[in-house]
Amino acid sequence: MLKYELKKIFSKKFNQVVLAAAVLLAVVFSIFAIQSILYTDTQGISHDGKLTAARRLASDQNKWKGALTTEKIAAVVKSRKELGAKYPDDIPDTVYGKTVQSYNDITHFVIQIMTPDSDWDENTLYQLTDEQTGELYNIYKDNMLKMSIDYGKTPEQQKLLMKEYEKIQMPVTYESVVSWDTMILYAETYEMVLAIVIGFLTAGIFAEEFRNRAESVFYSTKYGRSKATKNKILAGVLTTTIVYWTGTGILTLISFAVMGTSGMHTPYQLMFPYSIYPMTFGQYYLLILICGYIASLLTASAAMLTTAKMHTPYVAVCLPFFMLCVLPFIARALPSFSAFFNLMPCVLTNILNCARTPILYQIGNTVFRQIPLAMLIYTAASILLLPFVYRCYRQYGLKKE
Amino acid sequence: MELKLENLSKQFGDVYAVDQVTYSMKKGVYGLLGINGAGKTTLMRMLCTITRPTHGTITWNGKELSALGAGYRQILGYLPQDFGYYPDLSIYDYMMYIASIKGIRPVAAKKRTASLLEQVSLSKYKKRKMKNLSGGMLRRVGIAQAMLNDPKILILDEPTAGLDPNERIRFRNLISELSDDRLVLLSTHIVSDIEFIANEIILMKEGKFFFTGTSEELISSMEESVWNCTVPKNEVEHYLKKYLVANVKTMSQSAELRILSGYSPSENAIRDEASLEDAFLLYFGEKGADNIDAEI
Repeated sequence: MLKYELKKIFSKKFNQVVLAAAVLLAVVFSIFAIQSILYTDTQGISHDGKLTAARRLASDQNKWKGALTTEKIAAVVKSRKELGAKYPDDIPDTVYGKTVQSYNDITHFVIQIMTPDSDWDENTLYQLTDEQTGELYNIYKDNMLKMSIDYGKTPEQQKLLMKEYEKIQMPVTYESVVSWDTMILYAETYEMVLAIVIGFLTAGIFAEEFRNRAESVFYSTKYGRSKATKNKILAGVLTTTIVYWTGTGILTLISFAVMGTSGMHTPYQLMFPYSIYPMTFGQYYLLILICGYIASLLTASAAMLTTAKMHTPYVAVCLPFFMLCVLPFIARALPSFSAFFNLMPCVLTNILNCARTPILYQIGNTVFRQIPLAMLIYTAASILLLPFVYRCYRQYGLKKE
Repeated sequence: MELKLENLSKQFGDVYAVDQVTYSMKKGVYGLLGINGAGKTTLMRMLCTITRPTHGTITWNGKELSALGAGYRQILGYLPQDFGYYPDLSIYDYMMYIASIKGIRPVAAKKRTASLLEQVSLSKYKKRKMKNLSGGMLRRVGIAQAMLNDPKILILDEPTAGLDPNERIRFRNLISELSDDRLVLLSTHIVSDIEFIANEIILMKEGKFFFTGTSEELISSMEESVWNCTVPKNEVEHYLKKYLVANVKTMSQSAELRILSGYSPSENAIRDEASLEDAFLLYFGEKGADNIDAEI
């Protein structure tokens, strides 16, 4: 039964075209990701967008691989200061390719530590004293404490922030994250496309019988109001899983095969030291994929419920677009409702920004961080909607008029 | 084996599509005759558990359909009037899908599909997509899917609608072949569909059964006689206004009329034997005649 239910979905010409477009987009996004890498060699020659750029850049940056001790940081800061003094206007490409490019991530890390609550300011690096550099991790720890008190509105929230910050290992271990850092943006954009595609495919599952006027035969069969409806739901979940993981799998495979996987174990805090999500770049990428999957499951469940109720897919296919693409714009227009909009489904496809921002929710004495709470809510919602889909679809025609 | 309807009604707003119907059906072929909008499809949808009655009950061997649920649908085969299908599935895949939702195991489903497709002469087209089938082929797939579970109750709603005369005869014979040892309820507004195969005829009008019996009983229940007469061409209009005319055959100077009347309409009129079609025309009036003209 399930086999034919899936066949019904995948044998449709239109669905095939949509799926082919999704696969093509995965390839296109991979190419865009690969081409977005900027690399300058020691001769000052630019290799921007070349296939080998990411691996060459990673190899260059991996000169600094290992524990990022204050001695190592001091050496970087010293070098950068000297070059800044020598070339006050612009650093020549040869110098950039030979030296600066390799430790850009480290200088970025230092500036971020020193500017916890203000905008990015490169001058911070030049103003850094040797004493401050030697005490960088202590400054980092002090700032974490300050951040915990500033952002934690209640003792429970402060406790949670401190607990999370304590998990950050110091000194930070460094390895070039060029491929991971690049892929985050592309993966998030692509999974939004997939969620919309999945909403589109799954909306058709429960509209199929009505659109083709096949509902009479369907409901007059032994399992029409039971097992067959369950299998439709299962087909929806399977389609979501297959399409989502195939799509993201293609994107991930092509991109990392070309760019390499250096930096998988590098802490995310290298880029955002005050993020309340202690994790590695590998875990961060996985988190983005999992959140995208939850978003896809949610759009699938919502689309299936809408079509099961309305018997037409037209509203259902618009739902994912509204949930993931329109809601963020509404949220931006209504900042006073941020607490509400910060828990909308669009959070799941915006981990890139959410992981940087310390947003907390408290229910009684329990404090939740934004991302895990959104994951919990929407995983539960995706699952809890399914019995309603079942009930709605199987009840067709049974209401007394 | 008894399918019993008791005070069965279905109301849509203020309109009763089926109105207080009480009837019992056993093994055999039942022809449900009525014009469009008589309530045939609504009745059949209730019998197939697609929709619920507003009042009254339907029982199978003494048990209510709602209580029997899947157990009842297991012995049911249904070909709806508006037979919908999945356009991108092949005939074979469609049959296998329907077999699966009818609860037939895959091995048995394969055998049954093969034999039914053979019976409806579609074996060689089994890989063809449903969207590429002609109307006649689709109806044959429709009857094949209805027969997949070897149903004890076979409900066919206007099975010959839209078919050309050849296809209709072929289809009628097929239904006749398949009607052994089961209860077949065949709804139609085309008299010839049931004339030779129905054991019992039910006439339905405005949601009610107003006649049930054999075709002989139906014909003999007619109070009017059937007359054939030839009249001048310019008098045809007069006869059409005055009498119920079953048929007009125009010739160069005159016209041959078949008239239903309690008395001889003209001096040269010759009494003829009444047919089921004449009875249909008599009971359903002008609308019945429209249907006959349109479909025969």
